[in-house]
Amino acid sequence: MMTIIVNMLEMCISFSVALLLASIGEMFNQRAGVFNLGCEGIMSLGAFFGMLVVYFAEKAGYYSGWFNFLGFLLAAVVGALLGLFFGLIVVTFRAPQGIAGIGFQMFGVGLAGTLFRYYVGGVQNIKGVTATGIPGLRNIPVIGQIFFSHSVVVYLAYLTVPIAWYILFKTPWGLKVRAVGTHPRASDSMGINVNKIRYEALALGGAFAGIAGAYLSLAQAHLFNDTIISGRGFIAVALVYFGHWHPYQILGGAMLFTLAQTFQAQVQSSGIAFPYEFAVMLPYILVIVVLAFTSKNNKMSPSALGKPFNREQRV
Amino acid sequence: MKKYSKAILVSLMVLLFLFVSCSKKESVSESANAKEAKQSYKIALVVESTVDDKGWCQAMYDGLVEAKGILGDKIEFKVFEKMLAIDSGSIFRQCAAEGYNLILAHGAQYKNSIIEVAADFPKVSFAYGTADIIAGDNIFTYMPESEETGYLAGLLAGFMTKSGIVGLVGPVDGGDAARYNRGYVLGVQKANPKAKILVAHTGSFSDNVKASEIATSQIKNGADVLSGSAQQAVGALVATADSKNGLWVAQDYAQLETDAGKKRCLAASSYNYGAVIVDIVNNYLDKGVKGGICIPLNFNNNGFVFKYNDALKSSIPSEVVKEVDAALASFKAASGTLSNWRSVDYSKL
Repeated sequence: MMTIIVNMLEMCISFSVALLLASIGEMFNQRAGVFNLGCEGIMSLGAFFGMLVVYFAEKAGYYSGWFNFLGFLLAAVVGALLGLFFGLIVVTFRAPQGIAGIGFQMFGVGLAGTLFRYYVGGVQNIKGVTATGIPGLRNIPVIGQIFFSHSVVVYLAYLTVPIAWYILFKTPWGLKVRAVGTHPRASDSMGINVNKIRYEALALGGAFAGIAGAYLSLAQAHLFNDTIISGRGFIAVALVYFGHWHPYQILGGAMLFTLAQTFQAQVQSSGIAFPYEFAVMLPYILVIVVLAFTSKNNKMSPSALGKPFNREQRV
Repeated sequence: MKKYSKAILVSLMVLLFLFVSCSKKESVSESANAKEAKQSYKIALVVESTVDDKGWCQAMYDGLVEAKGILGDKIEFKVFEKMLAIDSGSIFRQCAAEGYNLILAHGAQYKNSIIEVAADFPKVSFAYGTADIIAGDNIFTYMPESEETGYLAGLLAGFMTKSGIVGLVGPVDGGDAARYNRGYVLGVQKANPKAKILVAHTGSFSDNVKASEIATSQIKNGADVLSGSAQQAVGALVATADSKNGLWVAQDYAQLETDAGKKRCLAASSYNYGAVIVDIVNNYLDKGVKGGICIPLNFNNNGFVFKYNDALKSSIPSEVVKEVDAALASFKAASGTLSNWRSVDYSKL
């Protein structure tokens, strides 16, 4: 029993990274007043471009671990550009954010699949990031396996949580992000360029989503296919609500969701007479239940979320 | 400012199109090369995934390519990928109106659309699978009896496991996947009655990530030989290859061609849809039979093929190869020998 619990916790830490990164990015978007349902599409393109770097390096025969870093970097750049592109649509052109986000999701997933077909041709596995763990510490009984057996990317991903908290709550830029997401008109009257801050937040959120996608292709599945994201972008959006737009609570949500995921896999493999269809649903049911019970507690929600800002419009 | 923004947007779109269109590879319609030659049968293949998914859809595509090699100009075909069941009715109608002789919808999810459209186009033949029913006078169905391929995989897994624990990552518990999984269990139990069999489903045919997570979970719980079906299984294969000593038995030859497959895949079986298509063309369409027949796929009618990974075959003890080959020979000799596959109950493993 102890082994099972330790295994579940170990897997929970590494499997929750993609959701965590995407949710943290989406948190910045939403804190600035823009919800980006296109997160799934950006993740998909991030996964593709991240994989592409390593794929070409392997194909050319000069692969080294640094190409994974380049893959993440390219995914971040692509994600940031897509975030800016989304900003153009919803901030400058003031398109309805929900519809634009769904369109963006389809665009991202479709484009990633098309480019994949042209430049790779079919599902191929890559070397990608391997979990080497922290030498010495990984051999500590129980704790070593749970906390110190992961790849460096996992630790960097978890480090983004306190960094995101610091940026959001302790820096002038974070204050501006929260201000434009709560009361853009007041922010504008205080000299804050609302659109500029929203563009910046969308670029940052896009970069996070791109890296989250690349994590799936480079560090978790070690391959890319058209459906690699499979709704994780939407789960990331839900986790932001779940975590009340706060990095630490989002971390808790991502881990809870992943724990439910690993638990259901465990339940199935243990041969317990329980319909697998319900087991597979378990994490999603959990999110719905928690959202239902916590939706009233929306004190932290950005009040201008989803509302385009037009400084020339009279209110 | 808005003018500039619009200009940027338009430029981005133009750049995007240039990026896609300037890529090295050309999109080749399979039918293009054959246009000049005289054709007998036009076949449309409709799939939900892509024809390079290393799984379900690729198996049928490879079968069509093989059939084309055998039948030559007697057939030409065109592929329609990423076609969801909900959208498929319109493409079926379009193909039927454009003069296709056989519309091949590769997946049980197309059943309702096929039955509906087939009734409106009685002169056109339709086919879909997996299904073991007679769906209409102009509809062929096909049913892979995958318990046979699963059994061979299970035999190998049962004999090769050192930990006494084997894993199975299924998509859903239905259709040929359910048959494969239960055949796998029977195979393991035959080879190693004491072996523990971990069975789990992802609930998806295409979610490689979830398959890799389940495979990782099973490996951490001691499984050292795994298998799985459908295109999602590639994720589990890669997770197995990433583990220290994990071995894999594949349900598609295409998985043997991946780096992970070359490294850890002991053997693979594959659907030989080429034989089914040749059968439909030569034995039915040529004789004016437009459907009303369910075609099983098994080793006996060459609907399945099986081969070892040459790179790893030396690591398999000769007595294991002998046992597997004997089972294969028995399947080739007669079909339906594993009729007890339905009796497998996962909760009793």
